[in-house]
Amino acid sequence: MTALATAAVSPLLTRLAAERATGALLRDRGTLFLEDGRIVHAESPATPGLDVLLTTGGGLAPERWREAVDRAGARRQVARFLVDSGGLAGGELEICHLAAIFDAAFFALSPGSGPSRFRRGATHWIGSVRSVPAAAVERETRRRRELLDAVWPYPQLDTSPVVPRAAAPGQTVTARQRALLAHADGLRTPADLAWVLGRPAFHTLLDVRRLAAAGLVETPLAPVRAVRAATTLPDWMTDTQSPDVALLRRLRDALEASL
Amino acid sequence: MPGIDECLLEAMALPGARGAALVDWSSGLALGTAGDSPVGDHETTAAETAELARAAAEYESFAQAGPEAAPGAGADRAQPVEDVIVTTRSGYHVLRFVETSFDSSVFLHLWLDRTEGNLALARLRLRALAEGLVLR
Repeated sequence: MTALATAAVSPLLTRLAAERATGALLRDRGTLFLEDGRIVHAESPATPGLDVLLTTGGGLAPERWREAVDRAGARRQVARFLVDSGGLAGGELEICHLAAIFDAAFFALSPGSGPSRFRRGATHWIGSVRSVPAAAVERETRRRRELLDAVWPYPQLDTSPVVPRAAAPGQTVTARQRALLAHADGLRTPADLAWVLGRPAFHTLLDVRRLAAAGLVETPLAPVRAVRAATTLPDWMTDTQSPDVALLRRLRDALEASL
Repeated sequence: MPGIDECLLEAMALPGARGAALVDWSSGLALGTAGDSPVGDHETTAAETAELARAAAEYESFAQAGPEAAPGAGADRAQPVEDVIVTTRSGYHVLRFVETSFDSSVFLHLWLDRTEGNLALARLRLRALAEGLVLR
């Protein structure tokens, strides 16, 4: 493996896990909640939360979710209340909660997610369900990035509106793909579709990449290079100079360490 | 109301059980594991079995609804494929799909020793375990 692949996704997270910290790790694109160094919850504005995943499609009535938050939110035992009141099976809650953690962590730990802050002692009102080692979340986040590019290496698909294309004669479109395509109106992005379908956002990104690879969704053209050339560069920097990744990494680590 | 760990432990109690996992077939993520992996790494096994499960779950040829699938409530979500069985020279692999009340894509994977394992028993037990995971 290259040094890049084994490098920590977030050095601060690695350090917090090692010192068995409890609190909330806040980044631009999401928050990870830690308890004794293990990740117990995660949320991101880029992903549908547990409430959306559970209530879309009618598995759990929105009123039951609200009741659980109202009655057990202050005690920080919403998860236990949902199961004890018969709204949800224990196994289902664990499955959905784990899906939500890895989904939110993928975006929270994405490279463009900015600097991290740690609020020591902060906990989430969902309460305890299952915890995952921080290293497992980092490893899975890295695997997911590689998986997306292995399927169809066009990252611009992740943020562009999804535009369906007609299937070739005899081409199979699966039931889950049909459900996604039915909601792709040429305006909704993969993230919008995740909310509509009540599916994790990463799953929708992956499905859209698979659809594009199969020719069932338009692959947007790469942004024109001219846009980049238009910005004026300092004299000492030429267009062909690649950024010093090692230097940037050290800078980021130093910034994170000082926060 | 058993959780993921209890479910996998029960699967491992079957005769000849060598490894078990709960896997998301859409992303290839192992949500829980127990015992051994045939390749020594549960994450690799999860990614590989997920590809197989995804093909089985999605291909039209396997998507015929059963006669008892009543139209209306939940019928559109009903998973047509119940399980996938792979027989190798040294073992059996049973992939049992789990139906949840929300949109998900998970299955139980049980790896059995060929000589000690009882495929029929394992299939029945995995069905009960998959149902137990979502039992309220």
